Parts: sequence; structure tokens; C-alpha cells
Amino acid sequence: MTAPTDDRGGTETAPESGAPTPRTAPLAWGGRLLARTGVAVRGAVGRRDGRATLVVVAALYLLTYLWALRDLTASGPGGVDVFVVAEPVSTALTPLSPFLFEAVARVEAGPIVYLFRPVNVALGIGLGLLVGVTLAVSVVSWRGPEACRIGAGAGATAGVPGLLSGFACCGPQLLVVIGLQASAGLVAAMQWMVPLAVASLLLTLLWVGSRVRIPE
Amino acid sequence: MSHTRRTLLTTLAAATGASAGCLGRGGRSSGGDPDGEPLVDLGRPCANSGGPVDLSGGRPATAFERARATPETASDDGDLPLRETPLHLGHDRSAFVDGQMSGGVGHDGIPSIDEPRFARAADVGLPDCERVFGVASDGDVRAYPQRILVRHEIVNDVVGGDPVAVTYCPLTGTAQGFYRGGTTFGVSGRLVNSNLIMWDRARDVRWPQIAATGIEVGGQRDADGADRYVGQSLREFRVVWTTWRRWRTRHPDTLVLTEETGSARNYNRDPYGSYEPPVSGHYSTDAGRQPNFPLLAYDDAESKRVVVGARTAAGAVAFDKRALMGASVLTGELGDTPVVAVADEGITTGYVYANPEGLRVERDGDADEGAVYAVDGTPAPPDALPLDRLQAFDAMWFAWHGFYPGTERVGI
Repeated sequence: MTAPTDDRGGTETAPESGAPTPRTAPLAWGGRLLARTGVAVRGAVGRRDGRATLVVVAALYLLTYLWALRDLTASGPGGVDVFVVAEPVSTALTPLSPFLFEAVARVEAGPIVYLFRPVNVALGIGLGLLVGVTLAVSVVSWRGPEACRIGAGAGATAGVPGLLSGFACCGPQLLVVIGLQASAGLVAAMQWMVPLAVASLLLTLLWVGSRVRIPE
Repeated sequence: MSHTRRTLLTTLAAATGASAGCLGRGGRSSGGDPDGEPLVDLGRPCANSGGPVDLSGGRPATAFERARATPETASDDGDLPLRETPLHLGHDRSAFVDGQMSGGVGHDGIPSIDEPRFARAADVGLPDCERVFGVASDGDVRAYPQRILVRHEIVNDVVGGDPVAVTYCPLTGTAQGFYRGGTTFGVSGRLVNSNLIMWDRARDVRWPQIAATGIEVGGQRDADGADRYVGQSLREFRVVWTTWRRWRTRHPDTLVLTEETGSARNYNRDPYGSYEPPVSGHYSTDAGRQPNFPLLAYDDAESKRVVVGARTAAGAVAFDKRALMGASVLTGELGDTPVVAVADEGITTGYVYANPEGLRVERDGDADEGAVYAVDGTPAPPDALPLDRLQAFDAMWFAWHGFYPGTERVGI
């Protein structure tokens, strides 16, 4: 198999002699980190197993996210029914709570009931792609030559922050269902779960990218 | 908001059920309650809770001859009918302001129903045990299914020629009606004692549902004179918490709210839990299951027990609903005034009356006919004793006590 390669000559995980560090040259170090991550991502999605990982993980993540929002449930009475609101565009952009937007359609198909919230679907796809690409880099690296590998746990941990964000929308409702005592601080903190999830996913991706050994 | 709905296929189950008359239309009980149907909600299974639901379609209430769905008295924009005397508050008003908190949704994040549509009872499918909130006003009779209101909490409607808001808070188990004059109510997204805080859209005064009293002015409107509503109380009307079979039996000509609300919602599941066995989520009556949001006052009694509460300017009183259904008549005091509560088992509700002269109230009739009472020998139905009827409604005990920690208790 072919490991991700750097078409500009390759990089190494271990600091090279004279390589920038966060302390000596933070901007150069950051740029180098982004470049390394970019190379790792391009290399991963350039391979069949990487693309498969990306697509499968992103799809699974999206389904899980929609389930966490309770937009996708097995609560249908049977039959098929489609309902679309009168003004779907303006409705789609109506916020209900932080990072939860109004549904524009309800689709019932047998036991499945799906509420279509375009903004949240876009959010779920974005988060899913972030989780998927992180895992794709991890999987490709893990399957590659030993010199290219990162720790097996890196990929596994990549998706956790993103999954948590799925519960952010309905956090207080979740507390009600599972019986935890809500507080003003806890409810307020839940409003930050989605941005925190995005930030942690990006950091995880950069971390995974930095750990990949890219041979020259 | 108007909408389009396209039903591609109806379910085989619904078709089979309808043809077999299994929705209850063909086999309505002629007398007593079917076995297993509870007199009091929460923790009691209901035998006929299953069956197909069809609350599709519907028309504006103005399309029905019996409904008085057009306002019969003119209201200025923003006009809001108020009680002459504010209701008793169990705490300083500032305690409600300080004790409120976000429920996790934004302003109108739970959308009220502003253009309700209705169908005749015979034209819908609803299991007997489905909870409905009934309103009857001079021959104009409506039922609002809990499965719909749990997603909207407020219906801005016109019933009996009056603009009204039919409101429901799932967390406190309270269904209450308010006259709304020339404005509408919305869900503010904030809670106090777990109870819905409404906002009126003319001036954004915040009204906790149970207290029915303005506690502060929000920031959504720039309306002159909004402060004068703070500390004032809304005018209310009776909303009955009962089951579909009971309401339909009492009022065969009732209209029922349909799922054509204009919003895309999943009315097949209750986001807070289940009233059906096993009772779960927020509705659980397990001893260890405490209310999720902080209360202004706590009590050791069973938190989810259902009480019939009444309050006036003078104070508050709560009757244990199960005890009332068993005894038919219970007495207590509200402030310094004797009060009497009577049960109407036919629709499993209770009425509370001021009885300052201590008249003798006793059961004097056949329960199957709606429980007739006698007041000093004069027969009267439970909802119209010759006494001053107080506004009363069902509530979970923890919420009632949270608002009125000094409430008189009967059977609690």
C-alpha cells in the first residue's frame, strides 16, 4: 500500500534540525502543521480505503447526529406521508435554540419519521466530514508502513467531540428525559457544545496530521 | 402559516381499524368507565391507549356552524383583559424574576399555534385514552390533544366569540386558558418552577402560566406603558384535562384540533417521556425522580402527584385529585374562606367553589349521569353549583407548591 506522500519532498514527525517550533517561530510552525495536515488529508482521500472511511464515517455520523436531534426516529404509525411548510426558505433559517433550526418538512415512511432541518443537515454533514477525514487519515496511516503509523487510539478518539455536539441542541430536553438536575450554568454551557465540537475536531485533525509520518 | 400536505398512502392499519370501527366510534360505552381507564393521570395505565391516530386535515373553526370562532367584541391592538384584583403570589415578585432560567430554547423556539385547524370528532382517529384539554364555552366545544400541544404549548384561538389562549406546560402538567384580547401569547423559552413563562407579543410582559401574573417586561418589544401590566393578573377560563373518550362522550359535537399546525413536527412522540406504561421520562412517578429545574420551594410529598389547585387574591388551596375522585366532595379553606371541591368523574375533573356560608354540599346523583350534587338540598351539576366557582386546574404537586409554598392542602 502507499502511504500519504508529500509531493514537496516530505516531512518528518520528529523535529528536524532547524525546523520551526511553536516557541521559536510560531507562524512558520503553524503553517508547516497546516501543510502537513493538508498533505495527510489529500493522501488519505486519494486512496480507496481512505475515501471509503470518509464516506462511511461521515454518513454514520450524520445519521447519529440526526438521531441525537430526534429528527430521525422510529416513531411512525406506518404508511407514507410528506408535509412541507408553506415558506421553506425563511422557515429553514429560523433558529429555535442555539444551533438548532426550524424543520421545513416531515417525512413519514413506515416506522420512520424524519424532520428535515436544512441548516442542521448541513451542520451534521460538516461535522461528519471533519470526523470522517480525521478517521480516514488515521486509518490510512495505521494501514500504511510502520514508519507512517500513528497510535491506533488517535482515530478512535477523533469522533467523540463531534458526536457530543449532536446532543447540544436538545441538551435541556435530554436532561429532562434522563432526569438530571438542570442549572442555569449547565443550560448555558450546552449552547457552546457545537462550536466546542468543531474546535476540538479541527484540533484533533491537526493533531492526527502532525502525527503522521510522511516519508520522503 | 399556511401549508400543503400530501398524503401518498394511508396505512393499512388505519384502514383496517377504521373499517372495523376500532376507533371507538362504533362501540362507545353507554355507561360506566371501561376497566383500566384511570381517574387520575400519572402512574396509572389506561386500557385503551393504543390504536391508530388520524388527526390530519381540518379546517379553520370558522368553517363549522356551531363554532363561534370570530371575535364578538372588538379589542384594540395589544389590548389584554386583566383581573380586577391580582392573584395571590406565593413569593415576592422579584423571586420569580430571579428564579427564572432558560429552558434551553429561544424566544418562540417552541412555536405557538396561531392558525389552528379543527375537525369533527367523528372525522378523526384518536385512541380513547389520549389526553385532551377540553374547552366548552356557550356551546362552542373544542378538544386540544396533548400530543399536539406538547410540541407547541400555546394555541391562540377564538372560542365562544372570545380571543383566547389555550396553554399547556408539559413539565408542570398544567393546562390553563387565558383571555388574550387584542394580542397573542408566545413561549418565551424561559421557565420558573419548571413552568412555562409566556410572553404577550404586544409588549413582551412575561407571564408564568401557573401564576398568571406579569412578573417583568422583556426586551423583545418597545411598548410604552408595559410596566403597568407587571403585577397584574390575566383573566382565565376553565380548561379540563381529561381523556378523549370521556370528552367525546360528554360532548359528542366537540371539535378537535388537528395536526395541521403549519409546523413540521413529530406528533408521534412526546419529547419529555411517556404517560403510557411504563410511565417514563419527566412523567415518571418514581420517588427518586425529582423535577429537573430548580424550584423556589421544595416539599417532601410525592412530587408528581396530581392536585386540583385554586388561587384567588387571598391565597391558594390544593386538593389531591385522587382523593377528590374517591370522596366526590372535599372541603378546605382558602385564606379565611371555606371552600368546597367536587368531583366530576365523567370527565375526571374537579371544581372548586368558595363556600363562605358553609352550605352543605353532598353527592346526590348517579355518577354515570355526570355526578349531580345537592347544595343545601338544591340539586346542581358539578360545574354549576349555586356558589362562586373559583378558577381551578390540575397541576403536578411540586409545581403548585413551588409557586404557593403556603398553600392550604387537602389530602396531601
